Amino acid sequence: MHFLFNFDNTHLSTYHSEGHSGQYYTLPPTHIQKLFPYGLPPRFQLQIKTFNEGCVMVRPPALELISYLKRADYSKPPLRYVLYGDIGTGKTMSLCHALHYCYSQGWLIVHVPDAHLWVKNCKELLPSSSRPSRFDQPIQASQWLKNFKITNERFLSKLKTTQRYVWTKRESTEKGQPLGELIDQGVNRMKSSSDVVGAVLRELRLQAGGATEGEGAFKLAVAVDGVNALWGKTSLKKEDRTMPEELTLIHNLRKMMKNNWSGGAILTALSQTGSVFKPRSAYLPSELLGEEGFDNMEPFVPVSVSNYNEKEFESCYLYYLDRNWLQHPHSRSEEGKKELIFLSNKNPSILERLCAFL
Amino acid sequence: MAASVRHLLKPWTPSLCLVRWSRYNPYYLDPDPSKDARVPESELSPEEKELQELKTVSPIKAALSSDTSSAFNDPLISKFINMMMQDGNKILARGIMTQTLETIKRKQVEKYHKSPAAKREEIECNPYTVFHQALENCKPIIGLASVQKGGKSYQVPVPLTDNRRRFLAMKWLITECRDNKHRRTHMYEKLSQELLAAFANEGNVVKRKHDLHKMAEANRAYAHYRWW
Repeated sequence: MHFLFNFDNTHLSTYHSEGHSGQYYTLPPTHIQKLFPYGLPPRFQLQIKTFNEGCVMVRPPALELISYLKRADYSKPPLRYVLYGDIGTGKTMSLCHALHYCYSQGWLIVHVPDAHLWVKNCKELLPSSSRPSRFDQPIQASQWLKNFKITNERFLSKLKTTQRYVWTKRESTEKGQPLGELIDQGVNRMKSSSDVVGAVLRELRLQAGGATEGEGAFKLAVAVDGVNALWGKTSLKKEDRTMPEELTLIHNLRKMMKNNWSGGAILTALSQTGSVFKPRSAYLPSELLGEEGFDNMEPFVPVSVSNYNEKEFESCYLYYLDRNWLQHPHSRSEEGKKELIFLSNKNPSILERLCAFL
Repeated sequence: MAASVRHLLKPWTPSLCLVRWSRYNPYYLDPDPSKDARVPESELSPEEKELQELKTVSPIKAALSSDTSSAFNDPLISKFINMMMQDGNKILARGIMTQTLETIKRKQVEKYHKSPAAKREEIECNPYTVFHQALENCKPIIGLASVQKGGKSYQVPVPLTDNRRRFLAMKWLITECRDNKHRRTHMYEKLSQELLAAFANEGNVVKRKHDLHKMAEANRAYAHYRWW
């Protein structure tokens, strides 16, 4: 049942349809370097390194998302898609699949690989230079700007700022400067990098659907993994041991989630594994997003992601056999396969961890 | 006061039943959890039929909770996990073992995929065969025992039983990884490096085995001091 697409990979995502469900397709290495220097799950990155190629299974949730993206009307406000499901069922991978489709169509990608990283374990928390009650995270912001630059290099020279931004008494970015300069400003000056992130997001929102000429028009894909971090609690503390109410990065991302702009799509995935103060059994949008988050995200299109069905499990098993990954002689027999099904309950991540040492 | 008296009044059963720790009578047989243990009667020779009769009649020791009936269960790996375990933390020891096997497999499969088709057959990707072969390469053939004769103690070369050899090989591997490596590397990384080196007959553990053999060879003259 499984079959590797070995030929022309450039626009493969566009040709995926219902019939391809359960089959693997290869992500071209140039795309992986550009699009996903940081966005893929760590175990999948290890797998790419081991097998010397990145293969993704085509699954119904991703196909559903891509079909919605194909048929949506981009002159209207963006649709919000929320991928939800139990732990280890493949939400991040489906998000990355849909994002690869957007990238191959030439969209501008705003990808936050894990919003939970902005809400916990931050080493430096500076009070914001522009607003008194906000807090900045310079390291995370500059890291994100560097990654944004790698992904969207071809857009940086084309887009221009619409407003004058003043960073300090001596530094400011004039109106009409290319976006690349704004990003360099943020990368070089760590202190104002969070404000630069806010400025970049604002510019993209204003310009996404606005331009009518053929050259300037682009579609914006906002992909956020771990959306529930934006409306949850933070585990960060200030020096005098109270929790910050507003973080600049979180505030700007929340503005991005509102659908008061046009010309793009918002793809999100919930995540319980990185979340702070949430029970392990919570996986539904209402539980993870909380009341505030649910009200902000509503209306959204929920896409449910579940464990492998029979055909997909077959395909995964054959893929591992093909790549010489299942080494134990018993795992290659029928009984070994039944044992794997029993032990993993066809959960993608548990199956992957099991097959790793067998 | 009431709580302590209540504790004395309720029926007391030990929370741990120490069955395995007590010494079993010698006629107790070892349990065989594998699914192939029952072979149909027609395929057995008369001696094996007798053994099968014995098994139905005589008592069997209690099975360990770490043994499974699945074919993935490997007694050598279980023994190694038990030796690595500290303070009874079997979960951690088993986790380290699975991570070691995974790391070995990853390194070998990566090498496999990057090498040209001609060299692919020589690369051993199965972490279990790598582990077994590496352990074989670390087992010493002859050991040294301290014998006192005429007020002076001599290191006498002595044959070793199979169990002793296996124990020494595993012990050397574990102590080597714990002591002689960089402090900040994980145990599974250190173990996988040592195992892959031992598989290729290089590395510190194989060197230690060779040193033991040389000492035994050097002390050949004292072999007659052994009386057993």
